[in-house]
Amino acid sequence: MTGGRVPTVRHKAEATSHHHQPGISFRPTRKSDFADTVQQQVKHRRRQPASMNGVCNQSMVTGVTDFQRFNGFAEHPAESKKAMGQRALDTSRKESEDESKLPALEAAYVTILRGLGENTDRQGLLKTPLRAAKAMQFLTKGYHETVYDILNDAIFDENHEEMVIVKDIDMFSLCEHHLVPFFGKVHIGYIPSKKVVGLSKLARVVEIYSRRLQVQERLTKQIAMAISEALQPIGVAVVIEAAHMCMVMRGVQKMNSRTVTSAMLGMFRDDPKTREEFLALTKNK
Amino acid sequence: MEYQRAVDLMSTVKVSYGDISAEVKKSALQDLQDHQEQSRKLSEDESNLPALQAAYRTILRGLGEDTERQGLARTPLRAARAMQFLTKGYHESVFDTLNDAIFDEDHDEMVIVKDTDMFSLCEHHLVPFYGKVHIGYLPRKKVVGLSKLARIVEIYSRRLQVQERLSKQIAVAIFEALQPEGVAVVIEATHMCMVMRGVQKINSRTVTSTMLGVFREDPKTREEFLSLIKSS
Repeated sequence: MTGGRVPTVRHKAEATSHHHQPGISFRPTRKSDFADTVQQQVKHRRRQPASMNGVCNQSMVTGVTDFQRFNGFAEHPAESKKAMGQRALDTSRKESEDESKLPALEAAYVTILRGLGENTDRQGLLKTPLRAAKAMQFLTKGYHETVYDILNDAIFDENHEEMVIVKDIDMFSLCEHHLVPFFGKVHIGYIPSKKVVGLSKLARVVEIYSRRLQVQERLTKQIAMAISEALQPIGVAVVIEAAHMCMVMRGVQKMNSRTVTSAMLGMFRDDPKTREEFLALTKNK
Repeated sequence: MEYQRAVDLMSTVKVSYGDISAEVKKSALQDLQDHQEQSRKLSEDESNLPALQAAYRTILRGLGEDTERQGLARTPLRAARAMQFLTKGYHESVFDTLNDAIFDEDHDEMVIVKDTDMFSLCEHHLVPFYGKVHIGYLPRKKVVGLSKLARIVEIYSRRLQVQERLSKQIAVAIFEALQPEGVAVVIEATHMCMVMRGVQKINSRTVTSTMLGVFREDPKTREEFLSLIKSS
């Protein structure tokens, strides 16, 4: 935990008790340290290229163009659940365009196969460029989808304030550095604050963010922040344990190594006993 | 051009192995093997990189990603190198790997090397499949260094493969090199193309096997091999 007070984001100006303050704790970013009102924060964030990556890295990411970010979204109302800038990469690719992109991808794959010394006319490889292009599009279909669309219907008011955990969610993603898969299990826990979400929706959030070119650390954080934003719970915890094929199949070639990353927000970050309970409940075997 | 050179090379090499069992001669598999072994020279890898990099950049853009962002800036290079590594079996030939480590030994009992980890690329989707290979053979006065069996697995698996063909190529390679009484190869693998996409069945595994020589003819030998490779 960083020393000093960290600012919290309030999406709605509700009168809530201090203990059950919903929202997310940020570690201070360069400019947004003491932006008091949500308006100010949103305005500030729009000045920064506010991609999810930038928020997670606490660094300016100038890669995402404004065109991508504002494509189809003219104004960002302060109360919008999308205020985090997730939409930078969300819907950066339209599903309807996938078909039209295939020829370019196929040509690229033909180049790759030839460059590797294979004979692209042999029977087994004839349709491989097409299949590989389609497979790649499927494995990155998270770019089509937004959390907002998926979650918005399945949030229910429920007077429940105990921990809810969905564990052992299988996750498959692509390493953005080598374009080689990494896969593992995701455990998600949250303490609702009067709002619970449909359980399969947690798995769908995992799907959206994992079906992209990812880094495991960022994936964990994106899942945690998405749930945090949508439900404003008392706390969210996400733990991912994965095997990286880029380490297993190539490079160091360590078969049995696993990478574990976690993101603890809200109560899970502040209270060690809550965190302990979550970790004990998600321990396997 | 390249392939012709490879074929010529293989034909000169084959002469030194002497008799080859009729069932494996002249098969389409043999043809494929001839074309693929050393179809790519190690020295050319560096010069192929720019074309591969450009191809990967096209792919990243076509998927809707931003190739300028920090995480992706060097990805085309890394992905191209990774792909070259994962298909490095095209550099290598069984002849070079095996030739030194064949020993005359008066042993005619079954020799098994099991649980060899194998990682390969599905040639249909360019997505990995991985699993374990179990190899057994009955020597006929000639044994081979044990790690060489694992190296044969490496040569053939680090290519664009189909699991059936992989198990056959491994078996045929050992059969040719040692002329043993029999060879058995069993591969049990998980295919990411089935797990990550398509049907998305996470726990399913594919098992293929190739039995040559006495393993094919004698059921008791086969049974012994299969019971010895069963995991405890």
